[in-house]
Formats: sequence, structure tokens, C-alpha cells
Amino acid sequence: MSAARLILKNVTENPLLRSNLNINNTSLRQYAFKSDLKIKWVRPEKIPCYKPEKSGDLAGVPKLDKSQYQLDFRNSKELETANEHVKKLFSLEFAPKSEVNRLYRKDLCDSIKRHEYDMGSIEVKLTKWTGIIRAWQEAMERFPRNRILKVHLKELIDKRKKHLKYLRRWDYRKFEWLIEKLDIVYKPPPNEFHWITRKDSLRKLTNTYCEDTRNEKLAAFRAVLEAEQPAFLEEKIRTLQFIRDEQQDCGADVTVSQEEIDGVKKQLADLLESRKEEED
Amino acid sequence: MSLKAATKVSMLLGQCVPCLKQNTSKFKVKRLELDENLLMYFKKDEFVYAHDPENKCKTGDIVLMEQLPQKKTRLVTHAVKEVIYPFGDITDPLTGKKVVAGKYRDHIEAVTKVYGQTKNGFKYDKAPLRGWQENKKDFTHADTYIKYHDDGKDQPYAV
Repeated sequence: MSAARLILKNVTENPLLRSNLNINNTSLRQYAFKSDLKIKWVRPEKIPCYKPEKSGDLAGVPKLDKSQYQLDFRNSKELETANEHVKKLFSLEFAPKSEVNRLYRKDLCDSIKRHEYDMGSIEVKLTKWTGIIRAWQEAMERFPRNRILKVHLKELIDKRKKHLKYLRRWDYRKFEWLIEKLDIVYKPPPNEFHWITRKDSLRKLTNTYCEDTRNEKLAAFRAVLEAEQPAFLEEKIRTLQFIRDEQQDCGADVTVSQEEIDGVKKQLADLLESRKEEED
Repeated sequence: MSLKAATKVSMLLGQCVPCLKQNTSKFKVKRLELDENLLMYFKKDEFVYAHDPENKCKTGDIVLMEQLPQKKTRLVTHAVKEVIYPFGDITDPLTGKKVVAGKYRDHIEAVTKVYGQTKNGFKYDKAPLRGWQENKKDFTHADTYIKYHDDGKDQPYAV
């Protein structure tokens, strides 16, 4: 019988060795390891780049009063004396959508601009783009297959974001004032870009799970210790008092002062009071 | 020629970046490293943590830091000395006037006054200091990340 066969025979016959072999087979497997933690990962749904959730617009185009005149006929003197039907024809009700959007944009810019003739300051530019973006976003909802509009919209959103970035660098106060006025949320780009993968997401989720477990356990331990606090302080007062009395009785050097004992008593009283307040 | 590590220099000028640690701010320090093959200097960013108990640095500020005589922790080696340039609120060092991009703020306001200031427009004297939109509409004080998990809750820092 050759040596190899002898070893094999030993291995198969010896129950201890056989179990070892089994353990080795399972525990040494390091590839394709699946965590048995009950963490459920939900892949976030993709939001198209032109949607308000991505662009940061918190408000859309509001519903305007349809009875007002179109932008070009606002100050018309002829319309003042015109008859009812003509007035209606020149109102927003009979105007194309673009006229409504134009009026919205004009009103929005009027609420922002520095002076009467302000057309090109950074805040007015950003406001104008915001008006266009919101109108186009509405159009995208109605015509989701309009690819040309989608491209233009995305480019405009990116341009606005870029100029918001510049404004933030130049003039922070104006930046904050403007995003508050226009209802835009500004988020900086993340430090690193990587597409979402199952493995990486699960890794992050596992990390947060471990962190939560640790914090829970620490909190529980803290609660246990805090529950023991009053009893411990009472014991401490008793012990200190006992030591002080003994030292006085025996005529030895008194190492425990009365202030120390009073301090602990005060600590206990404060603790009990704060607990009571918390309960109330 | 190897560069001396940034943490060993006594004074540093850095830009504040978002940091989660309490009483501490994180700074990006730009240094130049010599490439020996090309004999050219290239930019290299190093990150330094500085003790900042009053939290006077905000993201983007250019800040002067001083080395601590003793390290506070393994990471915190410096303390914030002075905010030199607050982000987005630059003062011209020569004239002491406030500057917006390439213009003085006074000049811009003077031009506005000539045209006639509107009631709704932005006014510097009434505008509050930076920080009142923090966590409301401005999320630049923290690092953002790409949303990787949909847990049904609101994730303000997810992009």
C-alpha cells in the first residue's frame, strides 16, 4: 500500500479527521460569501435629470389669473375703451401658452431686479433661466418624448447650476437671498462619482447596521449604569460617613471632610430632581 | 526631493471643506510637489484637521492655521488662528472695500442708485450674514452622496 493510500484510509476511517475535513470545506470558503444579516436593499428609482427633484426647483409655474391682459397689451389705452369681447380676446385666456410663460417670467424678474432697467445682472439672469426651466419642465411632463426639448432643458439646468456656483463664490449673501426667493435647493456635487452597485450599497448598509447596533448596545449599557447611580451615591454617602465617624472615634487623622459628604449629598439631590423633571 | 508633510509645518493656509467631527474643521491645503522626471511642480492636495471650538470656519473659507504644541488627537494637529477670506464675502486688502467678482460693491450700488433702486431688489445692508439658509435650501455645509438606498425617508444630502 502506497503512502498516499495509507493517508487517505486514515482520513476516511478516523471520525475526528473526517469532521475536520468537513469544517475545512465550509469555513475556508472565502469566495462568494453572502452576509446572513437581514438587510434589504432597495435600489433607488432613476429620476430623469430634467425633473424638478433633480434640478432643485421646489416651486413650479403657478396658476396665473387668466383674466389679465397679455404682456404686450397691458398698458394699451385702446383696450380701456374697447368692448367686452375684445378685452376677453386680449386676455390670457385666449393667449398661447408661451404668452402665459412670458408673463410669469416677467413677473418673476420684476420681483428680483435691482433697478427698473436691470436686464443682465446675475440674479436677473438666473431668474430668467429659472422661469424658462419651470415652463419647460411642465412641457416635458406633457410631452415626455420630446428629446430636443429634453436636451435643451438639461443644458439650461446645468448652466443655471454653474452660475449659482459662481454666485456663491462671489457673493454668498446674494446667493442665499436668491435661492430663498426662487425656491431652489442648491446641493454641491458629490466628491466622487460612481454608479450604484449592489455590492457597494450593501457594504454601506451593513456599516450603518453595525454602527446602529453598537450605539443601541452602548445606550442600553448607559441606561443600566444610570439606573444604578442613585443607589451607588447613597452607598457612597454611607461609606464616607462611616469612615469619617470611625476616624473621629479612633482619634486618627480625619481624611474625609464634611464638605465632601455634603457634595455627594447635593449631587444625589440634583440627580433625583433632574430625573423627576424628566419624568414630568 | 520629497516634500515635508503638511502636518509638520508650523503655519498653514487652507480652504475649509465639510467635516462631521465636532469642534474640528477639515482643511484642504494645496501644496506643490516636484516631479523629478519632468522637473516640474504639480499641485497636490493634503487634508489637515484643525481644532475649532467656536466653529468659526465655514465651508470654503480660506483660513490660517497654527500648529499645536501638542497634538490634540492623532488627526488634529493644528488650531484655527484666523479666517483670512470668508467665502463669498471678499474684502480687497488694498482698499479695504468689499468686492463682488471683479467689481467693488460700492460701485455696483452707486450704479443701481442712478437707475433708481427697486423695493424688492437685494440690499446688502439688510441681508443677513451667511448661514440662514443652511440645511433649508443650501446644503453646501456637508458632503453629498449619490443616493444608493431607498428607505422611504427623506435624505437631504443625497443627490
